[in-house]
Amino acid sequence: MRQFEAEILGNRRVAESWRELSFAWESGAAAPEPGQFFTFKASASSDPLLRRPLAFSGFAEADGGAAASGARAAKASAIYQVRGQATSLLADMAIGSRIDIIGSLGRPFPKPLEGDVPVITGGGIGLGPVLFLDAELRARGLEPILVLGLRSSSLLPSIKLPEGAVLCTDDGSAGFRGTTVDWISRNASEAAGGKPLRLYACGPGPMLAALADLAAERSWPGWFSAEQWMACGVGACMGCALPRADGKGYLRACADGPVFDARDIAWGAER
Amino acid sequence: MANPVGLASGTIGYGTEYEDLVGVDAAGALYTKAVTVEPRAGNRVPRIVETPSGMLNSIGLANPGIEAFIRDKLPELRTRRCAVIVNVAGGSEEEYARVVELIEAEAGAEAGAEPRLPGAPEAGAGGTGVDGYEINVSCPNVHSGGLAFGTDPTQVERLTRALRGLTRRPIIVKLTPNVTDITAIARAAEAGGADAVSCINTLVGMTIDIARCRPHLAMGTGGLSGPAVLPVGVASCYKASRAVKIPVIGLGGIMSADDALQYLLAGARAIQVGTGTFVDPRCASRVLSGIEAWMEKNGVARIEDIAGMLRP
Repeated sequence: MRQFEAEILGNRRVAESWRELSFAWESGAAAPEPGQFFTFKASASSDPLLRRPLAFSGFAEADGGAAASGARAAKASAIYQVRGQATSLLADMAIGSRIDIIGSLGRPFPKPLEGDVPVITGGGIGLGPVLFLDAELRARGLEPILVLGLRSSSLLPSIKLPEGAVLCTDDGSAGFRGTTVDWISRNASEAAGGKPLRLYACGPGPMLAALADLAAERSWPGWFSAEQWMACGVGACMGCALPRADGKGYLRACADGPVFDARDIAWGAER
Repeated sequence: MANPVGLASGTIGYGTEYEDLVGVDAAGALYTKAVTVEPRAGNRVPRIVETPSGMLNSIGLANPGIEAFIRDKLPELRTRRCAVIVNVAGGSEEEYARVVELIEAEAGAEAGAEPRLPGAPEAGAGGTGVDGYEINVSCPNVHSGGLAFGTDPTQVERLTRALRGLTRRPIIVKLTPNVTDITAIARAAEAGGADAVSCINTLVGMTIDIARCRPHLAMGTGGLSGPAVLPVGVASCYKASRAVKIPVIGLGGIMSADDALQYLLAGARAIQVGTGTFVDPRCASRVLSGIEAWMEKNGVARIEDIAGMLRP
């Protein structure tokens, strides 16, 4: 992990209250992996005070050799929802301005096992990290099943989605009418041609809780990315605790996660 | 201590968590996360919430317990080139005493009895790993109806005296601001044999989510820290430093050298950076270089001379 002042390369609206941020990645810093996150400081003032975590939604390696003129720096991106003071300030940051970044943080999604079909599920703003994972697995020649859930088609972001992505909307305004978990429960096994499934997910607590139940019922292995309030982001403050499934205390979203084995966390137990 | 800037308990873990980002060894002292006799899982979640220019936390002293601390954390702490102060917490006098006894038995009674300086021969791999104790007296005493030790001068004096009998290492009593008169508690710590007091611990606070009609924190209330508490901390140091002869270590909301200098002018002999590290891991080093620049500009040679510069 590194702390650096990054140049903002893009900060555009992609849906009602959703935006996509991209910034120059520090040369020499390890490339972020899907599931990892960074923290940013939204303002030099003390209000808002704390750094905010955002999951990476993509990463592009530096383009062109070091000697080539016009070589582009590596670029990291994140999709975020404008829902408070810090994200409002972030939304106002102009291209070319600088932002205080600490990254990459946390454990990424583990790589799929040979022969497994990855089923990648993103709910709401959780779509960012799953798009990153989907892109990386496709780049490695895998063919994941990508299932995205939104409340309504009006929230569909103006981002190029991979061909074949399954869209689920609660109101049926686009794609499958119902939740991602409904779709997976009914269709995933068939879509995978009977091969063993491995779930990857990021999304709201109730979605993860329902998906964890389904995974347990069908004996599907799963890796889920959690969200929790955090202060330090590096494992020191113990603020971002998540209750363990076995009742034996807590795990830290920032340092033990944010990606966990679906069986390890009492999903939905956190308020 | 080589310099007056410490890293406050609960904000720096055991030193390794921030290793990639900052040179922890450059600090004057590292105050560990509180250590208790038994492992503690910590409080229900959510445990933290942001407030105007501050944050509330109710972590619940989550820590692996003294046995695991000695086994898993102390070896790493022994390699530190900064002073290492173990923050001690407990629900009874016996629990505090047990933590100190076990560390004394492990770290040795003699070595480390004097605070180490960086570069000194005993520093580094040969260090004892413990240069002193900071006593968190904000914990509820299970034998006194859960009232915090730190709110009662009699209890603070008795607890400090009991621990004094167990170690030659420096004892720093960390004062809570949640009292009517912090000077009475500071005097009690001094009477019990403390080498210093640190102030302030967090202020009790609460915020409520009006959409759900319930507190943001699972435990209801938590401890307020950050810039919002700075004036409370400065006033506490000002009062405490005039009530006792032992040194006062100031903390509470320090984000910059200017903030730290307020504490030093108010009477503190050293300071700690806590929440500031969360916001910017480089905070402590910025504070240190800013203090040094201010001292040079004002022709001040020693940290302890700053307190005398405060005009009425």
